[in-house]
Amino acid sequence: MALVAARLSNPVTTPALPIIVHLDADAFFVSCELALQPELRGRKCAVGGRERGIISSASYEARACGVYTPMPTQRALKVCPDLIMLPHTSGLYSKVSRQMFDLCETLTPIVQRNSIDEGYLDLGPCGLSTTIELEERVRGLQRRLWDELQIPVSMGLAANKLVAQIASKLRKPRGFVIVPPGTEEEFLAPLPLGKLPGIGAKTEASLGAKHGLKFVRDITARSEGELQRIFGDSWPDMLATARGQDCRPVETDRDDAKSYSQQETFFTDIGDFAEIERVAKRMVDELLPKVRADGKRVRTITIKVRYPDFTQESHGRSLDTASDLESPFYPLIAPLLRVAWKKPRPLRLISVKFSGVDDGPAQLEMFAQTDEKRRRLAGVLDQLNRRAGDHVVQHGHQLAKRSAAS
Amino acid sequence: MKFKINRDHFANGLAQVLNVVGSKATMPILSNVLIEAEKDQISLTTTNLDLGIRCRIKAEVKETGAVTLPVKRLAGIVRELPNLDVTFDASPNHSVKLTSGGSTFRIMGIGKDEFPPLPEFGDEKAYALEQSELADMLKSVAYAQSSDETRYILNGVYFNFRDGKLSLVATDGRRLAMVSKEMEVPASSAGAIILPAKTVSELTRLLDKGTKARINFNDRRAAFQIATDKDTSGLVDHVYLYSKVVEGNYPNYQQVIPKETHQRIKLERELLLQCVHRAALVCSEKSNSIKIKLSSNLLEITAQSPDFGEAHESMAIGYSGPDLQVAFNPQFLMDPLRALAKDEVFFEVKDEVSPGVFKTLENFVCVIMPVRLS
Repeated sequence: MALVAARLSNPVTTPALPIIVHLDADAFFVSCELALQPELRGRKCAVGGRERGIISSASYEARACGVYTPMPTQRALKVCPDLIMLPHTSGLYSKVSRQMFDLCETLTPIVQRNSIDEGYLDLGPCGLSTTIELEERVRGLQRRLWDELQIPVSMGLAANKLVAQIASKLRKPRGFVIVPPGTEEEFLAPLPLGKLPGIGAKTEASLGAKHGLKFVRDITARSEGELQRIFGDSWPDMLATARGQDCRPVETDRDDAKSYSQQETFFTDIGDFAEIERVAKRMVDELLPKVRADGKRVRTITIKVRYPDFTQESHGRSLDTASDLESPFYPLIAPLLRVAWKKPRPLRLISVKFSGVDDGPAQLEMFAQTDEKRRRLAGVLDQLNRRAGDHVVQHGHQLAKRSAAS
Repeated sequence: MKFKINRDHFANGLAQVLNVVGSKATMPILSNVLIEAEKDQISLTTTNLDLGIRCRIKAEVKETGAVTLPVKRLAGIVRELPNLDVTFDASPNHSVKLTSGGSTFRIMGIGKDEFPPLPEFGDEKAYALEQSELADMLKSVAYAQSSDETRYILNGVYFNFRDGKLSLVATDGRRLAMVSKEMEVPASSAGAIILPAKTVSELTRLLDKGTKARINFNDRRAAFQIATDKDTSGLVDHVYLYSKVVEGNYPNYQQVIPKETHQRIKLERELLLQCVHRAALVCSEKSNSIKIKLSSNLLEITAQSPDFGEAHESMAIGYSGPDLQVAFNPQFLMDPLRALAKDEVFFEVKDEVSPGVFKTLENFVCVIMPVRLS
């Protein structure tokens, strides 16, 4: 509320200093692992599932050999046989991410945690008067992140989020790019179109082939009529982006999770419906405690399945009203799985996502004694599991089926 | 089969049965109306197997018989016929010739044999009611029925004949409305049914045709005989409405009606309705609640939505209890206020997590669960 009010009373003006910083950690998962095993530094490493997974993060040395994300591990090992595969360390990345952003907050209170490894800082409240001072502070932060956490990051400084983000990605790793206010258009002009957010490889190729648009300057050079023909009704947005105009504020409300999700790639493909259903239920059991811990409720559950050939299918359903309990979601799992999993083939991956996150006022129910009991029980279980590590207490359906022999 | 009939009477009769049709895919004949000509009247029947309606209209029957015709299209045609005199002539192959002035229609029908008969009732539990009273009672609770199909037990109005009274109850689990009327209930005839929402809306529509209505029911079905003595458009005898009931146990609603009164205020119904309605104009789907604040002789209503703005209403009331505030879905407050007819209502509240209760002096109560503000 306070942020909105401030925005309404002060019309957005271009600041005189590049006070918006985009921070982007370099090869974040790998960096986290290397902080624990510094002897691997400088080698070709990647984090990912070894047997069946995909590469989720690769060191710059590995990238030089053609390893990219997301790439199936098997293929990565083919292009780079001496790649050192590091398994995912559960809990490590979110912990380091928290420490990283906590350090950022020592510089300014306005920090937007965009994802686990990147975010925006607004240095407006720091009261700095020159770009030199500003640069000093941000370089100081970059240094601290390395000294204290051994996490290399790239920084982009500009007058707005759009340009800061493009700037931070320009000279990775350990980049540091400042775009002085007023020079945004000039800065973007020589960049290939694919550097602009929202333009993927396919769009970039087709814009080049069909319309001769290759660089950002090719957009600003065109007339409005031409742009309208090319981009349709969204042409003013495209033009604003090409000119480096953006007035989105840095939003600090980091608790505002848009969704909660979890996925699992199986060691070997699984074709047994009951087994897949069990995994999905376990994910539900692991995600809802997070929802409760955040004091939220969720409305929509989406189940995604992926086949061995990487084709995938997903299906979702929404409850009438958002809930923070597992029980209303259990009956949806099997039907959703049946709709999503149509092909008579085993699965290599399944994911469960909760969205429709709600933390607004809650309509109380009349005949909800059972729900209230369940909520109390869930609270106790959450506490036990938090205190003693995960899964001290589990639901019966999480236990694997006993083999016929036992 | 052949008869002569007044166009407006025919159209009126078809209008009574028009809403009840079955799905065309499973049984095409359920889209049809069964027309039976007897002595000096015809009867019109439709059913979707869960619900059926039959009415009778006067007609000059020249030749008795029966046929079924698609009801929606037939009603559309009859309404538009040019002349008040209509002749209806069905041939043995079920095609019907409809003549009025210079217009002639030939409509393909289906024989009556496939049409599922409406079950007739024997000696189940039976009560006589006043149509206008039943209509008022239904109106004062029907809005609280649930439309959530996963809570099918709540998709209807509960009729409870017990302890010397008839109580009608409806709830969607967030609010509950109940209205009662004293009447003689012999122990042998005590019982209760859940009348499905669709039946409730059809019944409500039919309850202005005359003075008396009769209900018969058992555990699985209910039937209403609705007298048509006030109708002037050709209806004779009574309209017969048959319905399956929702099978299952209705929740124990007595337990959610607060036994004690904490703070009670007397309110002008219209005034409160207007205030709530105005305040709710700033609500949005995301923030759909209004706050009621009570302080010494003052009732304030506030509402806000972060991206639009806020509203503040105040009403002078007689109140000397402690200051308190509680939030509700505005629709839940407006529904009973709109359905009631009395000028004054009583509103009882306790605290921000306890239900608000509307009451009138006439055995009406509406319990509304609050919205807990985060």
